[in-house]
Amino acid sequence: MMSQDQPSTEDRCGRFWNGMELLKDVTEKKHLLPTGLEGIDTLLGGGLRRGHLTEVTGPSSSGKTQVCLHSASLVAAKHLGVVMYLDTSNSFSPSRVATIIDGTPDLFGHKAKGCEIEDVMRSIICESVFDIFALFEVLNQLEISLSNDKVNNGGSKICLLIIDSISSLLAPIIGGKYPQGRSMMISVAMILKKLADEHNLSVLVTNHMVSAGNGAVKPALGESWKAVPHVRLVISRECRSNICTATVLKHTLLASGSTVKFTVPS
Amino acid sequence: MAGEAGGDPRAWLAVDETAAAFISRSLASRPPIILPPPLHRAPLRPGNVVEIAGPSNSGKSHLLLMAAVQCILPKEWEGIYFGGLGKSVMYLDLDCRFDVLRLAQILRNRIAEGFAHLRNGGLEKDGTKDEFQCSFENTLFSDCMQHFLYVRCYNSSEFTAALKTVQSQSRSEVLGVGIYFVMIDSIGAFYWIDRASQPVRESKGKSLQSVTETVVHEIRTFLQLQPALVLVTKAPIYAEGTTTANDFNRGSSKYTLEDSTVLRYSRQEEERTLSYREYMPSIWQSFVTHRINLQVEEAEVPSVQENGVHSTHTSEWVQPSLKTKEKFSIVDDGVILIQ
Repeated sequence: MMSQDQPSTEDRCGRFWNGMELLKDVTEKKHLLPTGLEGIDTLLGGGLRRGHLTEVTGPSSSGKTQVCLHSASLVAAKHLGVVMYLDTSNSFSPSRVATIIDGTPDLFGHKAKGCEIEDVMRSIICESVFDIFALFEVLNQLEISLSNDKVNNGGSKICLLIIDSISSLLAPIIGGKYPQGRSMMISVAMILKKLADEHNLSVLVTNHMVSAGNGAVKPALGESWKAVPHVRLVISRECRSNICTATVLKHTLLASGSTVKFTVPS
Repeated sequence: MAGEAGGDPRAWLAVDETAAAFISRSLASRPPIILPPPLHRAPLRPGNVVEIAGPSNSGKSHLLLMAAVQCILPKEWEGIYFGGLGKSVMYLDLDCRFDVLRLAQILRNRIAEGFAHLRNGGLEKDGTKDEFQCSFENTLFSDCMQHFLYVRCYNSSEFTAALKTVQSQSRSEVLGVGIYFVMIDSIGAFYWIDRASQPVRESKGKSLQSVTETVVHEIRTFLQLQPALVLVTKAPIYAEGTTTANDFNRGSSKYTLEDSTVLRYSRQEEERTLSYREYMPSIWQSFVTHRINLQVEEAEVPSVQENGVHSTHTSEWVQPSLKTKEKFSIVDDGVILIQ
């Protein structure tokens, strides 16, 4: 049974929406999910927007996974909804989630933290995904479950989908003589954006950096992927420090180049 | 023959109208459309198909939104001049990255501009708008937004199905005014998916070709019924050996085309040449009447020092070839031309 607050897929594809209907949909359903990292939330005007695909890219050890874990922890802890965490490199760590929650003051008020941490863990569904076909399978299953209103936890619906990292799944299949790899990449992009829009999810993916020549670096996956995310952030960490810098590469509302510093817990 | 014409040997030359009458009638039925910069240089009319090409972040979608606002804003409203066209827009989102908040932001800025001209800023002494103006602005805003029609497509079959419904939507009584702009963002969104769906051995993409033929046919049919301006964005597909790897396999000669369009732009203070190949089938290329290329001058990863500095964009009309490049910046209010 399709959930009441969502038009059916047929309805969405079959008719044109006017601007006021779109605006109403955004203001009523496409809310912001805080990441818990003050700098990033300030930069993004409150956090990760539902209905949007946000990409966090950066060099190794720049704090990409930390952003994912922070977002998952805060969304789950604030009972904003269920988080689905697709882990491609065994980077998900329950102990790090517990550390993040412990390090966030006044998150639960007077409630016992031990019980709350268990609740948080129950609200984060972690799946290990090691290749593109497994990703397709998980996303397909997720779409079916969401359409049948099955992915919930005590009444909470899934609101955040994290893929850390998407480039480790896509990089091996692009390039080569035939277009199938790039076709699969664009198919993944379309599925993610469809899930985000039709089920009011915020999708957060991470990407690594590759050489751009002359010692410079750039996000991996090339030009075809560059046009996919609504928001692209590049993060870098200062040497032997917890201070990171986030820069907007692309945003539907913000100017490129907007920068902010934030601190990640050690 | 001459005898049948009643004695006047030139009677058979009688025409319905003179060339001058034809031109004036054409101008009246399809008046020139003035769009915001940098689309203002070429003379555009209903029935034209404009292709806005450029890489990611070059401002293609933003130009569509600027044009959309120009279309949905009235020329005049309650005695206030806004300079719009007062018509409806149909926006087909194939990239699935449209943000209605950005459209609303641009529209609200344009409405506020109109009021500012009328009432010298239209602000109270404390800098706030009076209730009358707020109500007025909201009514106009809502009215304009009703004339913006949007559909999102996730594959080519949804796209062609949406185009088939365009005609019925354009006759909808709710609108009151006809569809004047049809926007497609972006036409190559399903290129890789369609290309991969064809048999490997086929040299010409049947799937890609047939989809494009259907798209062109549906747009043509619509334009015959109702003259409208079609604005289409297109992201490039890069040829091998370019600086924007890793989109192509450098070892394969399959993607090297002799007739590729060459675009130049500055990145990190050095000139590099990007060549991208024309991937749309010839039926599409011949269907397009106007082409503008956009570029953005920025680093792959902006440095911290660039914070707050707007990227510089470059536009160049390729068809018709105007042989001039214009630089512009995208800001909250719209586009600023750089002299």
